[in-house]
Amino acid sequence: MKDKIIQYIQAEILQDGDDPITSDEDLLTSGLLDSMAAMRLIGFLEETFEVKIPPEDMVIEHFMTVDAMESYLAQKQTS
Amino acid sequence: MLYLLPHTILNAAERSPEKVAFCCLKEARTYAEMTKQMNQLSNLLIELGVKKGDRIGIFLNRSIETAAAIYGTMNAGAAYVPIDPNLSIERVQFLIRDCGIKYLVTNQAQSRKLQKVVAAGTNLTHIIGLDKDWEIPTISWEEVSQFPSNSPKVNILADDLAYIMYTSGSTGIPKGIMHTHYSGLSYAKLSSGLYGLNSGDIFGNHAPLFFDISTFGYFSVPLKAATTIIATDAHVKMPASLSKLIEEEQISIWYSVPLALIQMLQRGVLEERNWEQLRWILYGGEPFPAKHLRALMKRLPQTRISNVYGPAEVNQCTYYHLPDLPQEEESIPLGQVWNNTEMLILDEKDRAVKQGEMGELLIRSATRMKAYWNNSTLTERSFYRRKTEQGVDDIFYRTGDLVNIDEQGRLQFFGRKDRQIKSRGYRVELDDVENALLEHQMVNEAAVFSKKDEDEVNIICAVVTLKENQDLEEKQLLDYCKNKLNWYAVPQQLSIVVDLARTPTGKIDRKQLAIEN
Repeated sequence: MKDKIIQYIQAEILQDGDDPITSDEDLLTSGLLDSMAAMRLIGFLEETFEVKIPPEDMVIEHFMTVDAMESYLAQKQTS
Repeated sequence: MLYLLPHTILNAAERSPEKVAFCCLKEARTYAEMTKQMNQLSNLLIELGVKKGDRIGIFLNRSIETAAAIYGTMNAGAAYVPIDPNLSIERVQFLIRDCGIKYLVTNQAQSRKLQKVVAAGTNLTHIIGLDKDWEIPTISWEEVSQFPSNSPKVNILADDLAYIMYTSGSTGIPKGIMHTHYSGLSYAKLSSGLYGLNSGDIFGNHAPLFFDISTFGYFSVPLKAATTIIATDAHVKMPASLSKLIEEEQISIWYSVPLALIQMLQRGVLEERNWEQLRWILYGGEPFPAKHLRALMKRLPQTRISNVYGPAEVNQCTYYHLPDLPQEEESIPLGQVWNNTEMLILDEKDRAVKQGEMGELLIRSATRMKAYWNNSTLTERSFYRRKTEQGVDDIFYRTGDLVNIDEQGRLQFFGRKDRQIKSRGYRVELDDVENALLEHQMVNEAAVFSKKDEDEVNIICAVVTLKENQDLEEKQLLDYCKNKLNWYAVPQQLSIVVDLARTPTGKIDRKQLAIEN
């Protein structure tokens, strides 16, 4: 799951293959992802992992890092 | 003593040293700590050779370091130049070159982007805020804290340069708006007075440093020894987190572009939030669509809401406190000119318009910029000089905004004289976007216009034709725009077509295109 997310961010959002991001890297506070990119990423996650992410779940704690996204999605998929 | 912007911090530190001045995530700085950190950074800059009037680039996201970075710079007699870290490498290089920046203040979070900027080539001699040395010498924030914390001896006056904010220019070249300690402090005094800011207030700062709305949180709040909560870039992207921040930090005054408030209305789960501490919402940067404003006012009956208007060249110049729920479709007035400010409404030949007629708004105020950086032609063109008997001209700034005075004596906004629009609160010159597209070697014609989406928010649209036998995809052209333009000026809709709608005389018909697309 992590690899899929990182691959997407790398290829579709940052469009930069030479400068890899890590799964614990803060993507939001640093400004690495802009607002549009954050919305696109959420759309990608919903589609790829077949979950519905409601507005109240769109919070920093769930999307700050790829690690955070993974644990949020895992919890979402089992519930 | 109160004639320089850093005096606001020093005075607050004397009155209430333990009061929190700025807070971002878990990090807070009291006024005493701010004084110390500001002096340390100033002493470091002076030791590195910074002289009065030098420009220091501030390359920071929304973070706690912003406060020390700008005050340390101004306190050393230099002017701070905020640089948007989301700009393309080319644009960052341009600003550094145009403004003659040799020193940059940043933090570790920006190192990824900054590395690319440095690799692309700049005239920087020092970077402050990075842990490791690069090919350019760096000084970490930890090392800054080793410097003496006594007040530096610099001879700065109210009329000296304090900061330069860049905004897009119609020719495609950004222009630097130069503000002095006097104009910045005048804004702080007028705005804190108008909105009754007091030491008990907790202000929610949404604007990044390079946006002039940020001066309320960074200047007006310290003037009254109140507290500024800096919302992070993460909060800005996650409306449900932003709305929670307002509740948790008990924010009493909020100021942002309408879009931030609209996003919180739509995705901020406001029904679960308690905002009873919030006494006043200011919005500015662009008009607030009446239907959303209505929804916001219904949701927050106990909160006052005000429209703030003023180009960055004069900070702010009018105010309008909304009295009751606006009707659908009604446009919200700009309101009244505030204190220490005079306005003129002139026609195309600089003659005063008749009562109620539309004309361009001109502003004379203590909050006016000194000039555009290194561009006396543009400065003079943007000023209107009224002769006086004394032989010293009164100087007015031409806003380029078309207004009239309605029957209730309020200023109403009708649009622009030129083709400038606001997108997410940022100024975008549509001609600038068009020119950028035309510079692409495969592009034959380009028409750029704005339209309102279903939420009545301005979006930028581009329609392009290609030169013969050229093959280019829309995505490639958008990627090109991202490198060429500020991120907020990149068209949100772009289509490559065979031919464009034309007027009977053969000119591109942008009005028709806006209807078709």
